Amino acid sequence: MPREPEERERREWEAEFEAASRRPLRTRLRYAFIHTYKPVLDDATYRSFASMAEYRAWCAESLPSWLGYGPAV
Amino acid sequence: MAQRFEYAQAEEIRDVFARHGVRYLFIGKSGAILLGYPDTTQDADLFLDRSEANGSAAVDALRELGFDLTEPQADEISRGKDFVQLRSGPFDLDLVFAPDGIETFEDAWRRRVEVEGFPVCHPDDIIRSKEAANRVKERESLPRLRAFRDYWLRTRR
Repeated sequence: MPREPEERERREWEAEFEAASRRPLRTRLRYAFIHTYKPVLDDATYRSFASMAEYRAWCAESLPSWLGYGPAV
Repeated sequence: MAQRFEYAQAEEIRDVFARHGVRYLFIGKSGAILLGYPDTTQDADLFLDRSEANGSAAVDALRELGFDLTEPQADEISRGKDFVQLRSGPFDLDLVFAPDGIETFEDAWRRRVEVEGFPVCHPDDIIRSKEAANRVKERESLPRLRAFRDYWLRTRR
Protein backbone atom coordinates (compact mmCIF):
# COMPACT_ATOMS: atom_id res chain seq x y z
CA MET A 1 0.00 0.00 0.00
CA PRO A 2 1.28 3.49 -0.81
CA ARG A 3 1.99 5.50 2.30
CA GLU A 4 -0.20 8.37 3.48
CA PRO A 5 1.46 11.73 2.89
CA GLU A 6 2.18 14.05 5.77
CA GLU A 7 0.34 17.37 6.00
CA ARG A 8 3.55 19.26 5.20
CA GLU A 9 3.97 17.21 2.01
CA ARG A 10 0.39 17.89 0.99
CA ARG A 11 0.94 21.62 1.35
CA GLU A 12 4.15 21.47 -0.71
CA TRP A 13 2.44 19.45 -3.43
CA GLU A 14 -0.50 21.85 -3.56
CA ALA A 15 1.93 24.73 -4.04
CA GLU A 16 3.60 22.79 -6.88
CA PHE A 17 0.24 22.07 -8.52
CA GLU A 18 -0.72 25.75 -8.24
CA ALA A 19 2.57 26.85 -9.78
CA ALA A 20 2.22 24.33 -12.63
CA SER A 21 -1.33 25.46 -13.35
CA ARG A 22 -0.02 28.95 -14.09
CA ARG A 23 2.38 27.68 -16.78
CA PRO A 24 1.23 27.16 -20.35
CA LEU A 25 1.11 23.57 -21.57
CA ARG A 26 4.05 24.15 -23.92
CA THR A 27 6.25 25.15 -20.97
CA ARG A 28 5.02 22.30 -18.78
CA LEU A 29 5.96 19.79 -21.44
CA ARG A 30 9.39 21.33 -21.94
CA TYR A 31 10.23 20.74 -18.28
CA ALA A 32 8.46 17.39 -17.98
CA PHE A 33 10.12 15.22 -20.61
CA ILE A 34 13.70 14.25 -20.00
CA HIS A 35 15.85 11.71 -21.74
CA THR A 36 18.37 9.62 -19.89
CA TYR A 37 19.63 6.22 -20.90
CA LYS A 38 17.89 3.32 -19.15
CA PRO A 39 19.93 0.13 -19.33
CA VAL A 40 18.30 -2.84 -21.07
CA LEU A 41 15.05 -0.94 -21.60
CA ASP A 42 16.64 1.38 -24.16
CA ASP A 43 18.82 -1.28 -25.79
CA ALA A 44 16.25 -2.46 -28.33
CA THR A 45 14.40 -0.38 -30.90
CA TYR A 46 11.24 -2.48 -30.60
CA ARG A 47 9.68 -4.82 -28.05
CA SER A 48 6.22 -6.27 -27.85
CA PHE A 49 4.36 -8.34 -25.29
CA ALA A 50 1.26 -10.47 -25.68
CA SER A 51 -0.06 -9.42 -22.28
CA MET A 52 0.70 -6.90 -19.57
CA ALA A 53 1.49 -9.82 -17.27
CA GLU A 54 4.16 -10.95 -19.72
CA TYR A 55 5.55 -7.41 -19.82
CA ARG A 56 5.60 -7.17 -16.01
CA ALA A 57 7.38 -10.53 -15.76
CA TRP A 58 9.97 -9.38 -18.31
CA CYS A 59 10.54 -6.17 -16.36
CA ALA A 60 11.00 -8.08 -13.11
CA GLU A 61 13.45 -10.54 -14.67
CA SER A 62 15.39 -8.37 -17.08
CA LEU A 63 15.61 -4.83 -15.76
CA PRO A 64 17.89 -3.59 -12.99
CA SER A 65 15.81 -3.32 -9.82
CA TRP A 66 16.82 0.30 -9.25
CA LEU A 67 14.80 1.34 -12.31
CA GLY A 68 11.71 0.59 -10.23
CA TYR A 69 9.82 -1.48 -12.81
CA GLY A 70 9.66 -4.54 -10.58
CA PRO A 71 6.61 -5.47 -8.49
CA ALA A 72 6.00 -3.63 -5.24
CA VAL A 73 5.95 -6.09 -2.36
CA MET B 1 19.24 8.64 -29.26
CA ALA B 2 15.68 9.85 -29.74
CA GLN B 3 14.84 13.50 -29.33
CA ARG B 4 13.34 14.73 -26.13
CA PHE B 5 9.56 14.70 -26.32
CA GLU B 6 8.29 18.27 -26.50
CA TYR B 7 5.10 20.12 -27.25
CA ALA B 8 5.86 19.99 -30.98
CA GLN B 9 6.00 16.18 -30.88
CA ALA B 10 2.74 16.01 -28.92
CA GLU B 11 1.18 18.26 -31.55
CA GLU B 12 2.51 15.98 -34.29
CA ILE B 13 0.93 12.93 -32.65
CA ARG B 14 -2.35 14.79 -32.22
CA ASP B 15 -2.45 16.08 -35.78
CA VAL B 16 -1.15 13.00 -37.60
CA PHE B 17 -3.28 10.59 -35.56
CA ALA B 18 -6.33 12.79 -36.21
CA ARG B 19 -5.62 12.82 -39.93
CA HIS B 20 -5.46 9.01 -39.95
CA GLY B 21 -8.49 8.68 -37.71
CA VAL B 22 -6.65 6.86 -34.91
CA ARG B 23 -8.62 6.43 -31.67
CA TYR B 24 -6.22 6.83 -28.76
CA LEU B 25 -5.73 8.44 -25.38
CA PHE B 26 -2.66 9.70 -23.60
CA ILE B 27 -2.24 7.61 -20.47
CA GLY B 28 0.37 7.12 -17.74
CA LYS B 29 2.52 9.90 -16.46
CA SER B 30 2.59 11.64 -19.83
CA GLY B 31 -1.21 11.84 -19.67
CA ALA B 32 -1.06 13.22 -16.13
CA ILE B 33 1.48 15.82 -17.25
CA LEU B 34 -0.86 16.98 -20.01
CA LEU B 35 -3.52 17.45 -17.33
CA GLY B 36 -1.13 19.67 -15.37
CA TYR B 37 0.70 17.23 -13.12
CA PRO B 38 4.19 18.61 -12.48
CA ASP B 39 6.66 15.75 -12.81
CA THR B 40 9.17 14.28 -15.24
CA THR B 41 9.00 11.30 -17.56
CA GLN B 42 10.94 9.92 -20.50
CA ASP B 43 8.37 8.76 -22.98
CA ALA B 44 4.78 9.18 -24.05
CA ASP B 45 2.25 6.42 -23.40
CA LEU B 46 -0.71 5.98 -25.71
CA PHE B 47 -3.74 3.78 -25.05
CA LEU B 48 -5.15 2.65 -28.40
CA ASP B 49 -8.54 1.23 -29.21
CA ARG B 50 -7.98 -2.39 -30.24
CA SER B 51 -9.43 -3.00 -33.67
CA GLU B 52 -7.84 -4.05 -36.93
CA ALA B 53 -8.81 -0.75 -38.57
CA ASN B 54 -7.47 1.35 -35.70
CA GLY B 55 -4.24 -0.66 -35.53
CA SER B 56 -3.65 -0.24 -39.26
CA ALA B 57 -4.39 3.49 -39.03
CA ALA B 58 -1.92 3.74 -36.13
CA VAL B 59 0.78 2.01 -38.19
CA ASP B 60 0.27 4.48 -41.04
CA ALA B 61 0.36 7.40 -38.62
CA LEU B 62 3.48 6.11 -36.85
CA ARG B 63 5.29 5.69 -40.15
CA GLU B 64 4.33 9.22 -41.14
CA LEU B 65 5.74 10.42 -37.82
CA GLY B 66 9.05 8.76 -38.68
CA PHE B 67 8.89 5.45 -36.82
CA ASP B 68 10.79 2.78 -38.68
CA LEU B 69 8.58 -0.33 -38.50
CA THR B 70 9.24 -3.65 -40.17
CA GLU B 71 6.30 -5.55 -41.65
CA PRO B 72 6.14 -8.05 -38.74
CA GLN B 73 6.18 -5.15 -36.27
CA ALA B 74 3.47 -3.32 -38.22
CA ASP B 75 1.43 -6.50 -38.21
CA GLU B 76 1.73 -6.84 -34.41
CA ILE B 77 0.56 -3.28 -33.91
CA SER B 78 -2.30 -3.74 -36.37
CA ARG B 79 -3.42 -6.80 -34.44
CA GLY B 80 -3.23 -4.87 -31.18
CA LYS B 81 -0.58 -6.72 -29.22
CA ASP B 82 -1.10 -5.75 -25.58
CA PHE B 83 2.05 -3.67 -25.10
CA VAL B 84 4.55 -2.31 -27.61
CA GLN B 85 7.66 -0.25 -26.92
CA LEU B 86 8.95 1.86 -29.78
CA ARG B 87 12.47 3.22 -29.70
CA SER B 88 12.89 3.43 -33.46
CA GLY B 89 11.46 6.85 -34.10
CA PRO B 90 11.90 10.53 -33.44
CA PHE B 91 10.86 10.06 -29.79
CA ASP B 92 10.19 7.17 -27.43
CA LEU B 93 6.65 5.89 -27.44
CA ASP B 94 4.84 3.10 -25.60
CA LEU B 95 1.63 1.75 -27.12
CA VAL B 96 -0.77 -0.05 -24.84
CA PHE B 97 -3.89 -1.83 -26.02
CA ALA B 98 -4.91 -3.35 -22.69
CA PRO B 99 -3.74 -1.26 -19.75
CA ASP B 100 -3.98 -2.79 -16.31
CA GLY B 101 -6.96 -1.58 -14.30
CA ILE B 102 -9.14 -0.32 -17.20
CA GLU B 103 -11.90 -2.55 -18.50
CA THR B 104 -12.33 -1.25 -22.04
CA PHE B 105 -11.19 1.56 -24.28
CA GLU B 106 -14.80 2.74 -24.55
CA ASP B 107 -15.00 3.18 -20.76
CA ALA B 108 -11.85 5.29 -20.77
CA TRP B 109 -12.98 7.20 -23.88
CA ARG B 110 -16.26 8.21 -22.22
CA ARG B 111 -14.33 9.60 -19.25
CA ARG B 112 -11.59 11.28 -21.30
CA VAL B 113 -10.45 14.86 -20.85
CA GLU B 114 -9.53 17.10 -23.80
CA VAL B 115 -6.53 19.37 -23.22
CA GLU B 116 -5.81 21.69 -26.14
CA GLY B 117 -7.12 19.01 -28.47
CA PHE B 118 -5.12 16.19 -26.82
CA PRO B 119 -7.35 13.29 -25.71
CA VAL B 120 -6.23 12.26 -22.24
CA CYS B 121 -7.41 9.56 -19.85
CA HIS B 122 -9.27 10.84 -16.81
CA PRO B 123 -6.92 11.05 -13.80
CA ASP B 124 -8.97 8.30 -12.07
CA ASP B 125 -8.12 5.95 -14.97
CA ILE B 126 -4.45 6.91 -14.88
CA ILE B 127 -4.40 6.17 -11.16
CA ARG B 128 -6.32 2.91 -11.58
CA SER B 129 -3.84 1.66 -14.17
CA LYS B 130 -0.89 2.55 -11.97
CA GLU B 131 -2.50 0.92 -8.93
CA ALA B 132 -3.11 -2.26 -10.91
CA ALA B 133 0.45 -2.27 -12.31
CA ASN B 134 1.72 -2.24 -8.71
CA ARG B 135 5.34 -1.42 -9.53
CA VAL B 136 7.91 -0.03 -7.12
CA LYS B 137 8.04 3.30 -8.92
CA GLU B 138 4.25 3.56 -8.82
CA ARG B 139 4.11 2.90 -5.10
CA GLU B 140 6.43 5.85 -4.61
CA SER B 141 4.60 8.23 -6.93
CA LEU B 142 0.95 7.36 -6.29
CA PRO B 143 0.36 9.48 -3.15
CA ARG B 144 1.41 12.63 -5.03
CA LEU B 145 -0.58 11.65 -8.12
CA ARG B 146 -3.69 11.08 -5.97
CA ALA B 147 -3.18 14.48 -4.36
CA PHE B 148 -3.00 15.96 -7.86
CA ARG B 149 -6.24 14.20 -8.86
CA ASP B 150 -7.96 15.77 -5.83
CA TYR B 151 -6.53 19.19 -6.70
CA TRP B 152 -7.53 18.80 -10.37
CA LEU B 153 -11.11 17.81 -9.50
CA ARG B 154 -11.38 20.76 -7.11
CA THR B 155 -10.00 23.38 -9.48
CA ARG B 156 -10.89 22.25 -13.01
CA ARG B 157 -12.84 24.85 -14.94
